[in-house]
Amino acid sequence: MPGSPQNLIDGGIAELKRFGYAPFGDAAPDWAGMWLLLRGDFATLRRTHVPTYAEMSPWPQEGARIYMRRRLLADRLFEECQVLYRRLHGEGINTELVEAYSLARDAYEEAVLDFGKAREMLEDVFTSTVDLVSASRA
Amino acid sequence: MRTFKTYDKGDVLPEDYKKALINLMCFQADSEYAGGQRVAENHRYATRPEEAYRLSKKVFEEMGHAFYVWNLLQELGVDVDARLYELSHNPENPDPRKVNVINGFRKENWSKFFECWEDVALFSTVVTPAAVAFLGQYRECSYLPWARVNVRIHKEEYGHLAFGVWASKRCIEFGGEKTREFMQQRIPKFMQMGLGFYGRPSAGGEKSQMFDIYYEYGIKVKKPEELQTEYLELLDSRLKEIGLIMPAGVEADYDMRMGYEAEEPVVA
Repeated sequence: MPGSPQNLIDGGIAELKRFGYAPFGDAAPDWAGMWLLLRGDFATLRRTHVPTYAEMSPWPQEGARIYMRRRLLADRLFEECQVLYRRLHGEGINTELVEAYSLARDAYEEAVLDFGKAREMLEDVFTSTVDLVSASRA
Repeated sequence: MRTFKTYDKGDVLPEDYKKALINLMCFQADSEYAGGQRVAENHRYATRPEEAYRLSKKVFEEMGHAFYVWNLLQELGVDVDARLYELSHNPENPDPRKVNVINGFRKENWSKFFECWEDVALFSTVVTPAAVAFLGQYRECSYLPWARVNVRIHKEEYGHLAFGVWASKRCIEFGGEKTREFMQQRIPKFMQMGLGFYGRPSAGGEKSQMFDIYYEYGIKVKKPEELQTEYLELLDSRLKEIGLIMPAGVEADYDMRMGYEAEEPVVA
């Protein structure tokens, strides 16, 4: 079966869906459902149980929402890159689209790095809260 | 310091110079795009969300590098949309009469290198420094529009190297000493590719037929030996940062670097 530019986009989307990517829509974020797909990133040898969204107290829950909001913003900028990627294939290569795509990529990069910073922030919150709870139970 | 005549946008280019320039630019652009396709295939190995997102960013960037260079090639009269069509519609086996892709980025060669996320992390740590050194030389080349574009590309290639270091550290952070040893054993296969990236030595019986022409024109500004030194210094520093050791006695795999036409000018 011949390939197409869309195949690459579809493949990328399928992989990001493993971690909760969903196309832009009107529905309110399902924080608990999204967290289920992301919480594995906080598992460590010491923290084998990462709490569910409902199990978290307000402090880490707020941190988790900030982390997930950053991810949602990255998703929207990912879509912006996709649009320009498709236009470059459909309309042909030209300076306007090449530079627009460059701006979109830079914005996506910043969003992905912010997502990473939010992970580090939440990691610190967990170290201050969840790990202490685990330690006191032990 | 070498000196050579430079050309800017709109300048009339000598025919032989133009032919050699187009050949190398096509090689870079086609390979960047194919590289983006291959990186995208590695998404399936991503074990954690941030890893997946950072890799998707890298895919878009590799594609963006191709678009930068194709955009310049268009001004030189190359039908770049045909090249884009060929690569995007035949990602697994593009026609070598239509595009010129580095061997290492052809699917049948690339796939053999990857079995796990650690391989993905190591590729960016061990092979990317070669791209940083090799493509870095084009920032000082005689065709100024291409030099300027490669300043932008070089910056992002450095970012890809940082991604490799970050991802490798994370692998070891989560997997411990066992993973560190596992990764250490896998460095040579990627180092072979990295060492072969910039081509055969500039002297001796196996030297590239085209190198002298590119060097004379200032399209390539560094000899493979100089690039090798840069590569090894960069690689050594990054491996140390991760807690890995640069293995000794690894030999270059030049077959992974060569284009379909072994660096001879191809259809433009």
